[in-house]
Amino acid sequence: MTVLLEMKDIHKVYPNGTKANQGVDLTVHEGEIHALVGENGAGKSTLMKILFGLETPTSGEIRYKGQPVTFQGPRDAIKQGIGMVHQHFMLVPSLTVSENILLGDELRKGFFSLFRDRKRELTEVDQLIQRYTLKVDPQAKVEMISVGQKQRVEILKVLYRGARLIILDEPTAVLTPQETDELFHSMKELVKENYTVIFITHKLREVMEISDRATILRAGKTIETVQTKNSSQEEISKLMVGRNVLFRVEKEEAKPKEPVLKVNHLTVPDDKGLEAIRNVSFQIRAGEIFGFAGVEGNGQTELIEAITGLRKIKSGQIEYLGQDLTEKTVAQIRAMKIGHIPEDRQTTGACLTSTISENLILDCCRAKEYRRGPFLEQKKIKGFSQQMIKDFDIRVQNEDALAGSLSGGNLQKVIIARELSKNPKLLIASQPTRGVDIGAIEFIHREIIKKRDEGTAVLLVSAELSEVINLSDRIGVLYNGEIVAILDNSTPLSEEEIGSYMLGIKRQEQEAVAE
Amino acid sequence: MNTRKTLTLELTGIIGAALVAILLGIIIIYIVSEEPLTAIQSLLLGPISSAFNIGTVLNKAVPLIFTGLALAIVFQAGVFSMGAEGQLYMGAFVGALAALYIPGLPVWVHLPIIFLAAICAGAIFGAIPGFLKAYLNTDEIVTTLMLNFIAILSTSYFVNNIFKDPASGGYARMQYIASDLRLGRIVEGFTAHYGIIIALATVIVIYLLLYKTKFGYELRMVGQNSRFAHYGGISTKKIIILSVVISGGLAALAGIIEILGVHGTFKDYFSINLGFDGIIIALLARNHPFGVAVAALFYAYLQVGAQLMQGASDVPRELAVIIQVILVLLVSSQAIFTFLRQKYLLRQGR
Repeated sequence: MTVLLEMKDIHKVYPNGTKANQGVDLTVHEGEIHALVGENGAGKSTLMKILFGLETPTSGEIRYKGQPVTFQGPRDAIKQGIGMVHQHFMLVPSLTVSENILLGDELRKGFFSLFRDRKRELTEVDQLIQRYTLKVDPQAKVEMISVGQKQRVEILKVLYRGARLIILDEPTAVLTPQETDELFHSMKELVKENYTVIFITHKLREVMEISDRATILRAGKTIETVQTKNSSQEEISKLMVGRNVLFRVEKEEAKPKEPVLKVNHLTVPDDKGLEAIRNVSFQIRAGEIFGFAGVEGNGQTELIEAITGLRKIKSGQIEYLGQDLTEKTVAQIRAMKIGHIPEDRQTTGACLTSTISENLILDCCRAKEYRRGPFLEQKKIKGFSQQMIKDFDIRVQNEDALAGSLSGGNLQKVIIARELSKNPKLLIASQPTRGVDIGAIEFIHREIIKKRDEGTAVLLVSAELSEVINLSDRIGVLYNGEIVAILDNSTPLSEEEIGSYMLGIKRQEQEAVAE
Repeated sequence: MNTRKTLTLELTGIIGAALVAILLGIIIIYIVSEEPLTAIQSLLLGPISSAFNIGTVLNKAVPLIFTGLALAIVFQAGVFSMGAEGQLYMGAFVGALAALYIPGLPVWVHLPIIFLAAICAGAIFGAIPGFLKAYLNTDEIVTTLMLNFIAILSTSYFVNNIFKDPASGGYARMQYIASDLRLGRIVEGFTAHYGIIIALATVIVIYLLLYKTKFGYELRMVGQNSRFAHYGGISTKKIIILSVVISGGLAALAGIIEILGVHGTFKDYFSINLGFDGIIIALLARNHPFGVAVAALFYAYLQVGAQLMQGASDVPRELAVIIQVILVLLVSSQAIFTFLRQKYLLRQGR
């Protein structure tokens, strides 16, 4: 095995003071699939951005093919044969697949190379597709193809530019289980041809399945590099978190009672006025967790915004404990004991430039007991904040620290503390553990289940299918704005089963969906 | 990093910037002046060399405190109003009319009416861009700048025509306001008038409003993260409009107090950019009311010092403008602060 890439003692401090890398070492061999694992915020993405020339390291050394290199920008990295597929696709939707692949490197012909050689372009792209079995129609417009295919276009783009080392940044985050399998197949094909792949993930099952070796990062430092076949999920997760982790969520059987939320024939427009949610009906009862599965962008966001009053609906009813929610303001809905953990905690769920305390009092600043005359009761607010920090194990110096200084998990705990402290009858949790470390995930799951056992109706939306399966008592699958199935999950379903509904391949009978 | 450390860092940054600006000013004096020591002495020590000068500094600071507060409050709400100058003229104009044309009232009734009239005028004028922004999403920078012209030029028209004092000759001004309605000196023989006391009291009121009430909390949340505010059920429209209304009222106070305390009547173009200086004051103060008081005093000190320097030496008063500009450049360079913060964290990390 020849060493292809060595990164030594990499440090990176961002201008806002975040220390993303504090001495990371990474050695990658030629022709291997190397998994880069760690919790969110462990510094994986930063390290790869440094490798791809998108960030300059504060200190450290990079050796590629034995030579020390410094990259001023992605162009330098591409020249050396390094390519990166970003988590968020960078494609032009209105152009075709082959135009996207060739963008900036079009083939020319004729007088002074003034004309594009479309014929040769198509054959080259075709060859590329055949060779690596990355199935996609080169003439299709990118806006028309699926997420999995878009990812293949990204990989083809990288291959076309002659990359020998391919970085995949959390490629499976947006994929269904079936699409993930196909991606893994392509990765294996590439490695056979002596390509090298660095694969960023925090899903351990994938690490075990696909990688040859794995480097584990924690808190911006390299913890260890292991041979995957000599290791286990348990060992890697322990290295990632620094302690033993429970994989299964322990919960008792649900004892659902009366319906809390009834949604009838709801249609909700998206920002462009198109129907993001079409004629959706479901009920959630007190004491049960109703989970929504579905590939992101199938109407989950709009559904939740409609229920919480953040988005105007087009038609239908939303009934909460006998009251119609559709005409209520956000403030009225929040005052009705409805808790909402929003999907984007950085921009919606919290105010990063404010203190923890200010983030916690969003609702109670309106309550009478926190006010005296025109003033807020500073002492009570302080007491409340300190209580929350203690109860929810928020790791912070004091309540006056800025929310922006917290890690993802701790920030999410602030939001959860705020939303659960009002003892909600209905809790809407959207991506409650996205980008949160494993320890905090356990904690958040326990809190949600505790609320369920106390009789709260819980609506859960998560892009993490395993989370939906682990927590939910019933599962609704959203596809293209419609509920295509409502499944009983009292004995956990398999990911594949739900996956086929998520892709729109399978569909329940309408009567079953309508209950 | 907690708030106190951030605060210390920011304060060091701002004070450092002030020192650097003054230092550069001194260097410029050495370059241009034949008698640099006299110039520096009158610039730096002149303002505190006599009770008269100290009083002048305080009087100059009064309108700056009000316009600084006016802008600090809208900036905290995330509204980038540039309209303080126009609101100041509207307030001063309507307040002066109330002082001149409501006859036969005892002073203790008349004076509050004058203030109220001024505040209402500024607030209503300020509300216009607020409604436009809240309901039509109009860019407030453009609307407030345009409304400034409307306010300044229309009051100018009236004071040149309808309300012009016939005895004023070549000057465009109204009649002089009765002396018992004007703001007198706090201590006989000391130049400072009651405006400074009203200004400092307003600083405390605005501080309490911003940091100790529900309204202030909601206002700051809207300014810092309007999505978070919306998600939390805060009516962002209401907050935006109220913030510009309060801001307009404060700018109007700057105008009417300047009339009652200094000029004694409404004069054409009496405010030389007080409303725009307020932007700089709010910027220096990082939109904090206490900071506004300090920054306004510093600003006034610099102006008085420059005036004295011009009288005592061969350096023109415009040097103060140079120092101000350097200061603004330094303080607005956020990059410097982030750089310092990064260095600080690096040192801690190693």
